[in-house]
Amino acid sequence: MEEMRKDVPRHLALFALVLLVTGGSVHSPKTLSVVTTLPDLRSITEEIGGDRVDVISIATGYQNPHFVDPKPSHILKLSRADMFVTVGLDLTLGWVPPLLTSSRNARIQPGAAGYVDTSIGVPLLQIPSSVSRERGDIHIFGNPHYWLDPVQGHRIAQNIHDALVRLQPEDQDYFTANLQSFNLRLDTKISEWKAKMLPFQGTTIIAYHNQWPYFEAAFGLEIAEFLEPRPGIPPTPSQLAKVIRLMQQEEINVIIISPYYKPDAAELVARNVNGKVVIMASSVDAFPEVKTYFDLFDYNVNLMIEALDSSSP
Amino acid sequence: MLTCRLHLKDRIRGSRICSSGIQRTPIPRQRFLLLILLLIFNAEAGAQEIKITAENDSLLQALEREMAAAQPRQNTPRFRPSTNPDISIITDVRSWYTSQGPRNVDAEVHEVESSFRSAIDPFARADIYVSMAHEDGEFEFELEEAYLTTLSLPYRLQLRVGKFRNTVGKINRIHPHALPFVDVPAVYTNFFGNEGLNDQGASLSWLLPNTSFYQELTVEVTRGPGESESFAFNEGNRFLYTGHLKNFWDLSEDKTLELGLSAIAGPNELEQTSWIGGVDVTYRWKPLRFNTYQSLTLQAETFFSHKEIRDYVVKSWGMYALVNYQLAQRWFLLGRFDHSDIPDDAAWNESAVSTTLGWYLTEYQKLEFGVKTSWGPTFDQTYQGLVRLVFVIGTHGAHEY
Repeated sequence: MEEMRKDVPRHLALFALVLLVTGGSVHSPKTLSVVTTLPDLRSITEEIGGDRVDVISIATGYQNPHFVDPKPSHILKLSRADMFVTVGLDLTLGWVPPLLTSSRNARIQPGAAGYVDTSIGVPLLQIPSSVSRERGDIHIFGNPHYWLDPVQGHRIAQNIHDALVRLQPEDQDYFTANLQSFNLRLDTKISEWKAKMLPFQGTTIIAYHNQWPYFEAAFGLEIAEFLEPRPGIPPTPSQLAKVIRLMQQEEINVIIISPYYKPDAAELVARNVNGKVVIMASSVDAFPEVKTYFDLFDYNVNLMIEALDSSSP
Repeated sequence: MLTCRLHLKDRIRGSRICSSGIQRTPIPRQRFLLLILLLIFNAEAGAQEIKITAENDSLLQALEREMAAAQPRQNTPRFRPSTNPDISIITDVRSWYTSQGPRNVDAEVHEVESSFRSAIDPFARADIYVSMAHEDGEFEFELEEAYLTTLSLPYRLQLRVGKFRNTVGKINRIHPHALPFVDVPAVYTNFFGNEGLNDQGASLSWLLPNTSFYQELTVEVTRGPGESESFAFNEGNRFLYTGHLKNFWDLSEDKTLELGLSAIAGPNELEQTSWIGGVDVTYRWKPLRFNTYQSLTLQAETFFSHKEIRDYVVKSWGMYALVNYQLAQRWFLLGRFDHSDIPDDAAWNESAVSTTLGWYLTEYQKLEFGVKTSWGPTFDQTYQGLVRLVFVIGTHGAHEY
């Protein structure tokens, strides 16, 4: 009896320990709470996670992903997340690290099982051989806008799938089936998009910011020049004059820009060369009709075809 | 301690080696304490430990698939393997004119601040800021901040230990070069000193379990600041205590509101006590789609001080209110009104109106032009003109919201 009474605090302590240590997994629900940096990653996570995930994106589709304000409300969402999905590289360096630190959530810190960098395995373009800010806001690992090549959707989906399986191994079959279905549908659509773009192979266009190399490579377009003189530096009169001359010489008619850049400079150039400004969807949710990763390319490919069709003689 | 940690992990992994050892331990009370300590510091880390083991199989499979898949060739490594911290160096150069004094035009390299930031291990990160500040023709080395921040405490707690800018008010945490104006509001310099409230100790913040809006409570105990009008280092065991409650609402996608409440108590230079209470309000409008082109910030802070001086209490107060409007992608126009007593003398006060035009050439360079006029019952109206150039080299710093 004496012995037992002595044991009571010990048992209580052990019980408390077990409760605390396992607390995280005991009330971990069947649905994983996922936060992504971009809506594109949200869309793909929804494809793979199906009804086992509850996904929100921090950035909207019409927002410049380089400059997202790390609002405390984002900290609140991250503090409860089981998984964090990011584009990785240095695209979101200005806002992801302070949000992760403030989230107090060990499950989603870099290196933890819930931290997903979708750039793993993506063959990057424009990897600089040296780095200096003289060249503007260059990305030290290579161009980070890789989700704009639909083929990279496979790699992104694989990375997300692997993380979901890691966090919820009991649903592995479900996630893998979703991944296979996504890959099949994506392959079909890629053939469709490429076939549509085939007549425009090698067409030269102008872009506002250097964010389309993956789209360019995927669909055989050629971006001849940018309105920004150097990445991240707003258009200057001399750069616009240079672009106008180039467009006249090379008979280039189309300027593509993202929804978050003011179109004034592009419109000015277009007026001078009788060209066209096309506001592309740089991400899912850029426009109300662009709701999924598939919509993103449907929208951009159709827009591109329409612009190139009407501008060709 | 270390062995017990290992034991704990072994236990979690289902090994019985340690548990039988524990049965034989003859001092339950000590172990109880150890357990409590472990609970506090290791619960979260321990929880992760189990998950990883349970998932080893799938992780291994994923890795195997990864290795089996043909990896594309990269022309340079994706990152340079280095454990160096992120380093950046910020230089603040100023020039000014004031309508009073024999030498009323001057210029200086006000401060060169170096920051070193990095994760220490999976459980904490370090932030160190050292500064070379201009002081009467000499440059003085100063440790501005040096603290560890935990990343894995349970219950959404975060602990900061070291030297840091105290969490009070809205702008006290922000380094002067990052502020959208050159001169710090009078209420800050009068109540806390030229550098704001910056002290050594511990800071514990808690993210309240409120799902409808953001609430963070921070309590700090620090040793007592070296230079402050309100507080002083105490020879006895008296410390500075601060509390701050930050409330934040997303009013819409484009609009946010922040309300902060601060309370500070500590010994003053007469070994008596000073209390300060404060309220800060910040409203921001920033359209998401064109967030680099346009924004508006309305911000106001007020502090009330009760300072015991011998057998009476001096009650004083101060405030500032500002409007910061982004005219275009690179241009900001700010207007501010200041009014402040000093904690020692409620009869003395100063008021000021100032305006600052900020030109942000890139994210790494800004130029600010300020004009200010100050007046008070005990001094002649003065006029000031200020120009400040701030430039940053090194790692991209994080933005504060």
